[in-house]
Amino acid sequence: MTHAGSRWRIPLVAVLGLLYAVPLVWMVITSFKSNAEVRSAPNDLLFAPTLDTFRDILAAGSESIWTSIQIAVSVTLLVLVIALPAAYAVGRRLGRRWAIVISIVLASFLVLQMVPQPMAVIPLFGILAGWKLTGSLAGLVLVDTAMLVPFAVLLLRPFALAVPRELYDAAEIDGASGLRVFRSIVIPLLRNGIATVAAIVFIIAWGEFIYATTLINDQAGLPVSGLLAQQNNLYSVSWNRLMALALLTSLPLVIIFLLAKRRLMEGLSVGAVK
Amino acid sequence: MNRSSRQEALLGTFLVPAAVLAIALSIAPMVQLVRMSLSDVGPTNLLKSWEFVGTANLEAALSSKVFWDAARATIIFTVVLLGIDLVVGFIVARLLAGHESRLTGAVLALMVLVWALPPVVSGSIWKFLLAGDGAINAILGLVGVGPVGWLSSPDLALWAVSLVAAWASLPFAVLIIRGGLLAIPREILEAAELDGASSRSLSRHILLPLLRPTLAVLTILIILYAFRSFDFVYVMTQGGPGRITNTLPYLAYQTSFKTFSFGSGAAVAVLSLLVVALLAIPYVASLRREEQA
Repeated sequence: MTHAGSRWRIPLVAVLGLLYAVPLVWMVITSFKSNAEVRSAPNDLLFAPTLDTFRDILAAGSESIWTSIQIAVSVTLLVLVIALPAAYAVGRRLGRRWAIVISIVLASFLVLQMVPQPMAVIPLFGILAGWKLTGSLAGLVLVDTAMLVPFAVLLLRPFALAVPRELYDAAEIDGASGLRVFRSIVIPLLRNGIATVAAIVFIIAWGEFIYATTLINDQAGLPVSGLLAQQNNLYSVSWNRLMALALLTSLPLVIIFLLAKRRLMEGLSVGAVK
Repeated sequence: MNRSSRQEALLGTFLVPAAVLAIALSIAPMVQLVRMSLSDVGPTNLLKSWEFVGTANLEAALSSKVFWDAARATIIFTVVLLGIDLVVGFIVARLLAGHESRLTGAVLALMVLVWALPPVVSGSIWKFLLAGDGAINAILGLVGVGPVGWLSSPDLALWAVSLVAAWASLPFAVLIIRGGLLAIPREILEAAELDGASSRSLSRHILLPLLRPTLAVLTILIILYAFRSFDFVYVMTQGGPGRITNTLPYLAYQTSFKTFSFGSGAAVAVLSLLVVALLAIPYVASLRREEQA
């Protein structure tokens, strides 16, 4: 494919890069503008950068940031605790009977994660209300976890499959119990997979807003992503505030991306159904 | 109990937490959703008993203009997404695949970063860029055009939202098509080159036929994505102006949580989920084939 439009390749790739870079740069620039600046000249490139917007948001929304942290950390831990053993179980090859169990589990997980969130939340609202869990972080963490476990299992399974079968067998012949095989073989060997899945789950839980805005009814209890979604619903939005909140909502992704770009890119392309 | 059934029983217990969670908070809600769509459920009786009304909600949805307008908006949204993601996705993947340089690597990484951004973030950025006083209109103003009401004009809003969703999902299409291109054996490409095949005939006679399975799966995934991109509508237009950008997921959600007509909202959701279910069958089947190969 060496001759495919080689003269145009570099300019075209550069235009493409700009198409994706400029909106992000715009978000960052705008979040460093003052209220007055944005109101009078929202598109000026020359301005005195200020941290006022961030100061405002940190002052008014520190509770939301704390809420986001609590949600993302608990969802990540809970998803790993539940998905890892399951991924190990569906990553083992035993007999034909077990293969049938695995294919049923995998097919239902695949189908479950296709259900669009705005539709899943309709019955979930009533179910959580029945358990008196609406308006609580616990309820939100629970539904986020339920949404992400199938995804995490599908993402972790290839890592579990990559462990040579002989390793499991040898440990079991040595008399190691199932739990010990899991602890001493699976967890250390799946370290890469665990890191990738933890990063992706954290990012998704941090950015989730549909369950958050639906299940948490008071504005003070919303995470950052929910606050951002709500700001968009206001009649008069101040763009600098909106962009600063957007930046805050994308921060974990950006940090993890900068630290572990390659692994994240591989993980994201494996977990194709996002 | 022999060794293998003992192992199976043990592994079975490893599946229990995930299975319990999936049953309680994924499968049971779907059953509940179907029950809801067949009952009269409003804000007052959500937690009490529901009166069974048969297919009344479904029939009401199917005979309402709002539903069909939403179906139409969803189809337009999906077609824009498919067109851009498949066609532009193929062109971009060809631009980027097999020409590893610092520039292509950086652009690909940037695109993946954008794809992974929470949709509420990319939606907010574009809401600002497309606003009456936003950057796009400022640029158009320099050449004496506009301002254009990208998100407020009934003729443009749906296209604008669809284009933003296409912008956000294009990187995914590029990633998948690029993976397909890179998996094509080098010998085939070299042979075509020796034969003096032009770039276009290479695409048409060699690459596209070889990519067919990849593109088929991608098509399904894009349609599914279209059915879940409620986020862009919610953030950018709230279904407006009027009901122009009111897509099926948005209609189902709004009916349930703005007017609290859970029965009618569930009916819209169930009707849309039928489409999702139809697409799930070939998708799961294709993954199974891949697994067995």
